[in-house]
Amino acid sequence: MKTRLAGRAMAVWVIAAGVAWADGAPPPPPYQMRAPLPEGDRLVPGRDADALFSNRCGACHLAGGMGTNILTKERMALGAPPESGLLVNRSDLTRSYITTVVRHGKRAMPSLSRVEVTDAELAAIARWLGKAGE
Amino acid sequence: MKLTLPPRVSLERFHQALNAFEGVVGKGWVLATDEDRDAYADLYAPGSEAEWPAAAAVAPASVEEVRAVVRLANEFKTPLWPTSRGKNLGYGASAPRMPGTIVLDLGRMSRILEWDTDLGYCVLEPGVGFFDLYEHLQRAQAPLWMSVPGNAWGSVLGNALDHGIGYTPYGLHSRNLCGLEVVLPDGDLMRTGMGAMDGNHSWHLFPSSFGPDWTHMFTQSNLGVVTKAGLWLQPAPEASLLLTWDIPREEDIGWVIDTLAPLKISGVIDQNVFIPSWLGKIVLLGQRRDFWDQPGAMPDSRVQELLREHRLGYWQVQVRFYGSESVNRARADILKAAFRRHLDAPPQETAWQAGDPLSQYDVTMGVPSAVALQMGDWVGGRGAHMGFSPVVPATSKHVMAQLRRSREIIAAHDVDFYASFTLSGRFATNINMLMYDRDNPRQVANIRKLFNALIGETARAGYGEYRTHLGWMDPVSDTFDFNGHAQRRLNERVKDALDPNGILAPGKQGVWPKAFRASRSGGEKT
Repeated sequence: MKTRLAGRAMAVWVIAAGVAWADGAPPPPPYQMRAPLPEGDRLVPGRDADALFSNRCGACHLAGGMGTNILTKERMALGAPPESGLLVNRSDLTRSYITTVVRHGKRAMPSLSRVEVTDAELAAIARWLGKAGE
Repeated sequence: MKLTLPPRVSLERFHQALNAFEGVVGKGWVLATDEDRDAYADLYAPGSEAEWPAAAAVAPASVEEVRAVVRLANEFKTPLWPTSRGKNLGYGASAPRMPGTIVLDLGRMSRILEWDTDLGYCVLEPGVGFFDLYEHLQRAQAPLWMSVPGNAWGSVLGNALDHGIGYTPYGLHSRNLCGLEVVLPDGDLMRTGMGAMDGNHSWHLFPSSFGPDWTHMFTQSNLGVVTKAGLWLQPAPEASLLLTWDIPREEDIGWVIDTLAPLKISGVIDQNVFIPSWLGKIVLLGQRRDFWDQPGAMPDSRVQELLREHRLGYWQVQVRFYGSESVNRARADILKAAFRRHLDAPPQETAWQAGDPLSQYDVTMGVPSAVALQMGDWVGGRGAHMGFSPVVPATSKHVMAQLRRSREIIAAHDVDFYASFTLSGRFATNINMLMYDRDNPRQVANIRKLFNALIGETARAGYGEYRTHLGWMDPVSDTFDFNGHAQRRLNERVKDALDPNGILAPGKQGVWPKAFRASRSGGEKT
């Protein structure tokens, strides 16, 4: 059989142990520093949502992260631009969808505990990221 | 997930225990809803998550809170399963071995207590993740490098305590531990090594002790809760040189190991050398169906097509040298000369100097990434993996025999073959990634059968696993059978002496306390 993704894979950051994988592929993005976890009581609303997203979700959902890579492939297969693999670029996510995925997982993404992301933190992140409303 | 109570604990008593825990850690840090229990389940469970259910979780924020929770657990007879960040993916994540155990989630204990750039160490709490430590060192511009595992989403200490492996000169992570602080099963607090002396300045520097050193009694162990530990870090090198070879044929792994091992043992190579097979690269490119649309294992003919199509070798060898540029070059010349005796193609050479950017994905430079988890997407659906991980002597004789044995067993079960060897000197760790769709009962049943076959056949040939999934801790511990399981008898005697109520992690690595010994599952996992 023929490999089905020869063309579209080129646009994805596909790197193996530091060596560029595909000819013509752009270099990988440098390490994406996450924002520090905002100070304050983690159980209380009101902390910086942008920083919370970066710190709590950034290991996978900043540029080049595992989640971003998988979503980029998925989105491109649907005809969406590769930039939509980054959650911050999405305008179609609802708050309830974000909350559901975080608490119940989705495919390769595990559910996250309330120690990893508290309810207050998740509410702030969902409000900030969920541009499609409730 | 519905509540599974700890053995012999009533619902009323269970709720009394949770209330008591809440009095210690505060409202909001005892987690006991169905959704909470889901979050502490094994997301890659080969079968139902309900096989290894947690009853609840409690999350202390300090060593004093840990001590208080452990004392209460003894009072209420509610066992605890300590996790650092719960990312032991492929081995059970944060799920407990015994149903109804309460997860002791140490994720809130996430302080980096010390770091010393002169002597190259840090002191961490268990909730510190690889990303946390990396960013801390970067922001402090500390000339220190970490060693990271393939999946670096988890805890630095948790990984070291579970004998995790990385790919730098500091790649044997449990060897980097120096000086632990431990809450014992009765709530007592002790420190290992020189830390046994109050205020000792060498606690995290001297790797032994006055008298017996108990440090490794607490790794892959259920004898204590590690609440802080010293960890040695690599001084950032002024330069580095990476040599990369694609190794064409499967059987070439024999000469590769025979070439690299003496150089690693003699110190020409100082890193742990990771040697993945081709599938380790292909999984990053797409899903299985993009490359092979049949249900059975990908045949050799298609593998060879893919290797040609993507200009890949069957294996990839990457050796990185660290230090001054001239020394790196001299070492590289020795290695290149040794490889030329077997392979005409020269390596790709990638030089790096202090100040150059670090690749986001380069585990050989201690940069944390979770991108290895993309393999979870390979089979589609709720993809998952389990690792079968025997340790073999680093010679072609042993490596080739292990490769042929596991390949034959995996092929007989019609599963894609994804092997890697990590060379650490005198031994190599052979990780066989078994990937499956959790929602496909046939695949799950097949993987379980396959895992049993691998454990049995490999042990009969004289090799054991260094680490395994929750569900196979008993079968693997059964394979360590010298003198009628003498090591198990010792483990149980120590466990019963220190933990008479069996409070800490019953069943961890097949070590069961007297109180729950009947829960051991003998023989193969069905």
